[in-house]
Amino acid sequence: MGLPWIDFFCRCNVDKEESDSRKLLSQIPFFANLNRRELAVIEQFLHQREFQCGEYIFRQGDRGLGMYIIQNGLISVVSEPENYELSELRDGDFFGEMTLLDDLYRSATIRAKSECCLFGLFQPDLTALIDRDQSLGLKIVMQIAKYACQRLRVTNDKVIALSAELAKLKKSFQNSGE
Amino acid sequence: MSATHLQHKIHLFSLFFAVALVFVILYLGDVAEIVITAALLAYILEPVVLYLEKKGVSRTASTTLVVLGIILGLLLISMTCLPMAFQQLKSIKSGDMGQSSQILIKLDQAIQEYAPLFGIKNINLDGWISKFQSWLSDKLPEILIHDSGSVLISLIMVPFVMFFILKDNRKFKKYFISLVPNRYFEFTLDLIHKMEVQLGNYLRGQFIDAVAFGIMAVITLWFLDVPYFLIIGAFAGLANLIPFVGPVAGATVAFATVVIQQGELLRACYVLLAFILLKLIDDILVQPLAVGQHVNLHPVVIALAILTGGHLFGILGMLLIIPFLGFIKVVMEEGITTYRKYRFE
Repeated sequence: MGLPWIDFFCRCNVDKEESDSRKLLSQIPFFANLNRRELAVIEQFLHQREFQCGEYIFRQGDRGLGMYIIQNGLISVVSEPENYELSELRDGDFFGEMTLLDDLYRSATIRAKSECCLFGLFQPDLTALIDRDQSLGLKIVMQIAKYACQRLRVTNDKVIALSAELAKLKKSFQNSGE
Repeated sequence: MSATHLQHKIHLFSLFFAVALVFVILYLGDVAEIVITAALLAYILEPVVLYLEKKGVSRTASTTLVVLGIILGLLLISMTCLPMAFQQLKSIKSGDMGQSSQILIKLDQAIQEYAPLFGIKNINLDGWISKFQSWLSDKLPEILIHDSGSVLISLIMVPFVMFFILKDNRKFKKYFISLVPNRYFEFTLDLIHKMEVQLGNYLRGQFIDAVAFGIMAVITLWFLDVPYFLIIGAFAGLANLIPFVGPVAGATVAFATVVIQQGELLRACYVLLAFILLKLIDDILVQPLAVGQHVNLHPVVIALAILTGGHLFGILGMLLIIPFLGFIKVVMEEGITTYRKYRFE
């Protein structure tokens, strides 16, 4: 784009060098199919936050507002009140994505295990993005919904497998009892 | 955090905010006036800029086009209205009151006949009116010239500040939110978003209501053959933004114009009736559709606010004080509601 007046009128002035946040976004399943211009648009709506070691990102039961993507650092996913660590997340992982679609409560506590730098994408910004660029907003929402459906199917399969295992155990327990 | 502790925090915050506001108004009144006017206009014009952005135009270009459009519109209006205003001033100075002189002569005769019955003597209505005319023709240019410096600065600075608020409001918001500590970050983001939605809808609704009332007033006054129906109708639309005072002011100006220019008391009464009808249509039909929710402040609070706004910033203060109060109310209400949803430990 050589002529500056074209850049003034059109939303096509994308930096030639890919920024860290854009590289990170392209690794997230919801944004994997987006082109450079679309990733640049989403980048404008990201909030960069830094957390100290031991600081809470959010607590279980808090109202959720959006998702976080880990740029660098270690994050602990904890179930309260037992304080049991469910998993550990690191660079490139993400969490809290369901609250982009609903505004229900957080299902676990997230705590920084080391100094972290996170990028946040939140509901109000997603709403603003949809207002500004409906086709891009729809693409992202569809991807999030697809991801949620995939996770639900995986969970359903696990529940079916666990139920079958439980039924087997019950039967063998009854047989051994007899 | 206990409910009492929360209440104490809210009271402390409200007190701090009120003190800061008083300081800003007292010491930075002119600057605050420009920024508030520019911010309110930016809220109203945001959907227009967003519409152009949706069409693929960049934010900068959309903002430039909208602001240029507004400036051109204002220039056109000034070019048509200013000559009329100067002509009016000339006619006031020359003492040409048109047909009203017949009414005034009759009124003067009636006063001379009946006033002595009440023990009132030496009333010279004609002399008073001449003195008033002379005072008005001398004082009016003085008032206009005295304030023209600040008016000129406002005319330049308001579009300038409005342009940057419109163009960079996302950046300003993002920067402000980046300063908030992590503990209050999501709460602040949620609050700002709710504030913008509520306030934006209210301000745009008020603007649409003012425009709708102005158009209805212009058409009605044209139909009733009232002189300067365009200026009076536009003034009535703008004045409609001020509760209680505004509608009365608009009707009074129209009534006075018909009496002074044409001397027809009956037509002036029709104008008054028309304004009453317009106000009813506005309250029953236009306001619920355009504005929807109201600020819901006590009438005494509104009246005091209008007086305070008028005392501090003149007519502009009277126009802006209610939207500004609405903004404060939204901040407090949404702040408390949103604060309760988050746990701050």
